[in-house]
Amino acid sequence: MRIQVRRTGGFAGIERHAEVDTSGRPDAQEWHALAEKAVAAGRGVPPIGVPDGFSYQITVDGRTVYAADPRLTEEQQKLISRVLKEGA
Amino acid sequence: MTTHGGFEPVFCTVVPPHVLDRLARNDDPALSGPAQRTLVRDSELRSRRRVTTEFRLWAGPTAKAPSEQPLRTIYDAEHRTDLPGTKVRGEGEDPGQDATVNRAYSGLGATFDLFLKAYGRHSIDGDGLPLDATVHFDEGYNNAFWNGEQMVFGDGDGEIFVDFTNSIDVIGHELAHGVTQYTANLTYYGQPGALNESMSDVFGSLIKQYSLGQTAAEADWLIGAGLLAPSVTGQALRSMKAPGTAYDDDVLGKDPQPATMDDYVRTGRDNGGVHINSGIPNHAFHLAATAIGGFAWEKAGQIWYDVLTGGELSEKALFTDFAKLTVRAARERFGDGGEELQAVEKAWEQVGVRIL
Repeated sequence: MRIQVRRTGGFAGIERHAEVDTSGRPDAQEWHALAEKAVAAGRGVPPIGVPDGFSYQITVDGRTVYAADPRLTEEQQKLISRVLKEGA
Repeated sequence: MTTHGGFEPVFCTVVPPHVLDRLARNDDPALSGPAQRTLVRDSELRSRRRVTTEFRLWAGPTAKAPSEQPLRTIYDAEHRTDLPGTKVRGEGEDPGQDATVNRAYSGLGATFDLFLKAYGRHSIDGDGLPLDATVHFDEGYNNAFWNGEQMVFGDGDGEIFVDFTNSIDVIGHELAHGVTQYTANLTYYGQPGALNESMSDVFGSLIKQYSLGQTAAEADWLIGAGLLAPSVTGQALRSMKAPGTAYDDDVLGKDPQPATMDDYVRTGRDNGGVHINSGIPNHAFHLAATAIGGFAWEKAGQIWYDVLTGGELSEKALFTDFAKLTVRAARERFGDGGEELQAVEKAWEQVGVRIL
């Protein structure tokens, strides 16, 4: 499974992008469960964000959903921070 | 962790009715639920108000002038994302051990001061609204934002950004989003969104200049100076004086802001480039303020404030709509043919925004 996160906006307006390929990873199952829940709670179109809030684009195996601070689900928050931290 | 259950926005009179209507129809119950309840409560309040007005009934305590003092409360999210968090300092309480809390508290005070003393505005709603801020939001959070009700500040990750309360103009910037929300309510997308961002940079910078007693010539015109970690090559996040030059770093990339319409960036990202194209109206303000000279909040700031709060600026305003209104405001406030009018006209011409 290929999980991509793109973060835009924020006070600085600086974009960040990272992705994780779970194939061959020992914790792949954990990633899959997290990604499925995060995508299920995502929106088809970018939600109206708050001023200076981050906007997120989450793409899992080609399917893209949107989310924005400060209204992320726990799974979205966890997935986004893990991908931006551990991804390349 | 923020979940739909953990953060349920309470849309008081903060959110305009048309937005509430739209939210109330949203498929996300976390958004539609509170919006529906607010609409019901608002209609109850409106009927009560009508009844008390029409029948001259006693409607509770007599309205009195809002206070000349801010009503500040600082909360600590303790590195979680539940808002507002634990109350750590209320109005009039002595400073504590946490420098972040103290900076947020005094930044809110400085912002309140500028709006009251320069423009006669009582807090962000003009009616003494309490000022709430949450610090230590999330872990290593590289951002600060306004959520429609309060300011939220992250600590930064220490690698790219440090504590977001470090820059007083960042605190002013977030509060100014509140002022915009209560006045012109510029839509946070595309050109009106870039104007919304620019309003926050303009008043954020003016708050810094006012608190340091600097003239337009003395000011650094930087947004977020002191926010970048030592390893980052750059002086700030944005420069109103020279948009596009604030930073140029291996990790961060280069400051993408244009200074004129020739370099206007068309993009769907960042809500249609709100933090990018704000460089153009930012630069126009800097040019006008430095041409006029003296303290920028007195004349250029007054003109911009007149437009923001005057009721003529539409929620969907484009740069040219805003520019035309500043020309009119300069004429109305400082006279036809005055140096203020000339400075404002020339500033827009220099950044390539049409005023005719």
